[in-house]
Amino acid sequence: MWKRIASGGFVAALPFLAPALAAYVVFVIGPMFSAIRLSLYKWSGFTTDQQVFVGFQNYVRLFTKDPVFWTAVQNSIVWVLLSLVIPTTLGLVMALALNRPVFGRNVFRSVFYIPGVLAPIAIANMWRWMYNPNYGVFSDISKALHIGDGSGTTFLSDPKVAIYAIFAAFVWQIAGLNMVLFLAGLQSVSKELVESARLDGANAWGVFRHVTFPALRPTVVVVLVLTIVNSIKVFDLVVGMTGGGPAQKSQVLALWSYTQSFLNHDFGLGNATATILLLITLALVVPYMIWSTKGNED
Amino acid sequence: MRLLAKGVAALAALALLAGCGAGVSSSAADSSGKTVVTWWTLNQSAPSADDQINKLISDFEAANPTIKIERTSRAVDAHKDALRTAIGTSAAPDIYNYWAGPGLGGELVKANASADLADYYKQYNWESRFTSAALNPVKQYGGFQGVPWKLNGEGIYYNKTLFAKAGITELPTTIDELNGAAAKLKSAGITPIEFGGTVNWHVMRLLDTFLEGYCGSAKFDQLVSNKANWGQEDCVTKSFTNLAKWSKDYLNPGFIGINNDESSALFYTGRAAMALEGDWFNKNISDQKVNMDDFGVFPLPSGTGRLYGFEEAEYIGKDSPHKDAAAKFLDYLTSTKVQQQVLGTFGTQSVNKDVTPSTTANALGKSWDGIFKDAKGLYMNNDQNLSQSATTEYWRIQNLVATGGLDPAKAGSEFQKFLDSSN
Repeated sequence: MWKRIASGGFVAALPFLAPALAAYVVFVIGPMFSAIRLSLYKWSGFTTDQQVFVGFQNYVRLFTKDPVFWTAVQNSIVWVLLSLVIPTTLGLVMALALNRPVFGRNVFRSVFYIPGVLAPIAIANMWRWMYNPNYGVFSDISKALHIGDGSGTTFLSDPKVAIYAIFAAFVWQIAGLNMVLFLAGLQSVSKELVESARLDGANAWGVFRHVTFPALRPTVVVVLVLTIVNSIKVFDLVVGMTGGGPAQKSQVLALWSYTQSFLNHDFGLGNATATILLLITLALVVPYMIWSTKGNED
Repeated sequence: MRLLAKGVAALAALALLAGCGAGVSSSAADSSGKTVVTWWTLNQSAPSADDQINKLISDFEAANPTIKIERTSRAVDAHKDALRTAIGTSAAPDIYNYWAGPGLGGELVKANASADLADYYKQYNWESRFTSAALNPVKQYGGFQGVPWKLNGEGIYYNKTLFAKAGITELPTTIDELNGAAAKLKSAGITPIEFGGTVNWHVMRLLDTFLEGYCGSAKFDQLVSNKANWGQEDCVTKSFTNLAKWSKDYLNPGFIGINNDESSALFYTGRAAMALEGDWFNKNISDQKVNMDDFGVFPLPSGTGRLYGFEEAEYIGKDSPHKDAAAKFLDYLTSTKVQQQVLGTFGTQSVNKDVTPSTTANALGKSWDGIFKDAKGLYMNNDQNLSQSATTEYWRIQNLVATGGLDPAKAGSEFQKFLDSSN
C-alpha cells in the first residue's frame, strides 16, 4: 500500500494538502472523536462540572429507558425510506419533463430549483404559516373539505400526522435539487442510442427503461446517497416547524441529540445519540465512498 | 512533514490568540481605567422595558464614574447556551440574570457558577430590603445566591362580559368551581380558556394548577422535589384526568398547534373567556388598545392560598474579579428609589418591600396588589422546580394526555418511571 501511495504522487501532493488536512483533523475529526469520547461520560456541559466516566451506560439508557429515542429512530427511518421514494421520483419525473423542448422550461427549472437554495429554517417558517390553523392555506383547504375536526388544525398539531406534514416541506425543498442533478445526468444519455431504440420500435417507456435509465445509473446513485445523508441529518425543518412535538412525536435523531445536550444538559446522552447517528450515516455512506473511489482508480 | 508541523503550530497559535481575545473582555478595565462590569440579561419583549434598563445603566454610571456596565442581552435559549459555555471560563459575565427555581438557577448554583453573596447582604443590609417571598428563592440553596430582581405572580385573567353572558356571578375559589365555570362557558357557546401548545410551558400552567389544587401544597412540594411518588398519588391521576377533560372540552380548538402569542389574541378579541397568565399580562392587554375595565383577574383557585409564580434574580459569577463593583450595581438596581421608578415595567410588584404600590395603576394592577398581599407563600412553575430533562419529559407526558395519546391514569407512573431511571 505504501508503495502505491508513493507512486501515486501522494508525497509530492502532501505539502499542498497539509493545511487543509490539518484544519480537517482539528475541526472535523477532532470534534468527532471528542463526541464519541463524551458519549462514555456523564456531563452537564458546564466546564465547572466534572465529567464522570460511565462506560456504555448512556447507550444502555438510550436503548432501554429513553422515552423518546425509539420514536426518533423510527421517524428517522421512515424519513429516509420516504425520501428515497418520493422526492427522488418527483425529481426524476420533473427532469424528464423539463428535458424536452417545452415552452418556458427554463422558467420551470428555476422555479422548481428555488426551494433547494432557500435556508431550511426559512422554509420551516413558511410552511408553518401555511399550516397555521387560523390563517394558513392548508387550514382553509381542510375546512372547505371538512377534513378532521373542522378547525383546520390536523397537521402540525396531530401527533400522528406532524412528521408527515414536515416531510411534505422537505419534499418541496429537495425535489428541485434532485431534478437539477437528474437534468445534468440526462445530458450524458446518448442521443444516438435513443434514436436507434426508437427506430427499433421502442415506445417511450421502452426507451426510458432500456436506454435512459441505465445511462442515469451513476446519477441515481449520487442522488440516493445525497438524499440519505440529507434525510438522516434533518434538523432545521423539524426545529422550525414543531420542535419535535407534539409530545415528541415528530422527534428525529439529530434533534434529539441536540435536545439532550443543549436543553436537557445531558451531554453524555446527547453525544451517545450523535454517535449512533454517525454510525448509521457511515454504514450508509461508506459503501458509496468505496464504490466511487474504485471508479476513480479504474 | 515540517510544513505540516508548521501548519498545525500556526493553527494552534491562532486558536490560542482567539482564546486570549475571548478572555479579555470580562476582566479588563477600559482605556480610561474604569472597572468594566459585564452584565448578561434577557431580551425585553417591550422596547420601553429595554429603554428603562439602559437608562438605569447610564444613571448608575453617572453616579459612579469609575464603573462601566457592559450589558449583553440575548433571547432565552441563546442566554442559557451562552452561560453554559461561558461559566467557569474567563468569558463568564460578572453578573447574570436567571430564573431562581431549582431547575434553572439551581442548576447553575450546583455547577458552581454563582457566588455566595452573604457578605454583601450584610454590607448592604439586603436581608431587610426584600420581601420574604422574594428572599426565599435566593436563600433556598444555602447562603445567598443572587439578588432578587423581579417576582411575577400568575393568575386567571377573565373577560367580564363573557362571564356575565355565561351566568357566572361568583369568581371560582376551588378547582371544582373552576371546572363548573368552564362548563357554564362551554354551555353558553364560549371558548372557556385559551392556550398555545407549541411552547409546552403554557399548558403546563394549567396542569401545575390542578396538581396544587388536588394534591395540596405539601404534597405538591413533595412531588416536585422527588419525595413523593407520582405513580402512587390519586391526586396526580385526578390532575391529569382534569387536564384531559379541559383539553378536550374547554381549551381553544387546535391549541396544541399554535403558540401563546396567537392564543392570547383569542383573549384580547373576546373569543376566549379566560387566560392563565402572569402579572406582566396587564401590559400586553393595554398594548392592545382595548378597554381595560372589560377584564379582571383572580388568583388560581387551588384552595391552598399560595401564589403561583416565579422569580428572576441577578447572580454574581463565582469567579468574577469585580464582585465589589457588581454588588454596588445590584444595590443600586434593587434600591427603593430605582424599584419605585421601574414598578409596572417588569411586573406589578417590587421585590423591595419599601416600594409602595403604584397610585396610577389600572384596576388589573390594583387587583394584583391584593393577590400578592393575600398570598400565603409561593409555588413555582414546574419547569423551574424540575430539572431540564425532567421538564422535557413532564411536557411530553402532559402533551400526550392533552392530545389523547396517553391514559391519564398512567401518566403519573410514566413520569415516575422516568424520574426513577434518571437517579
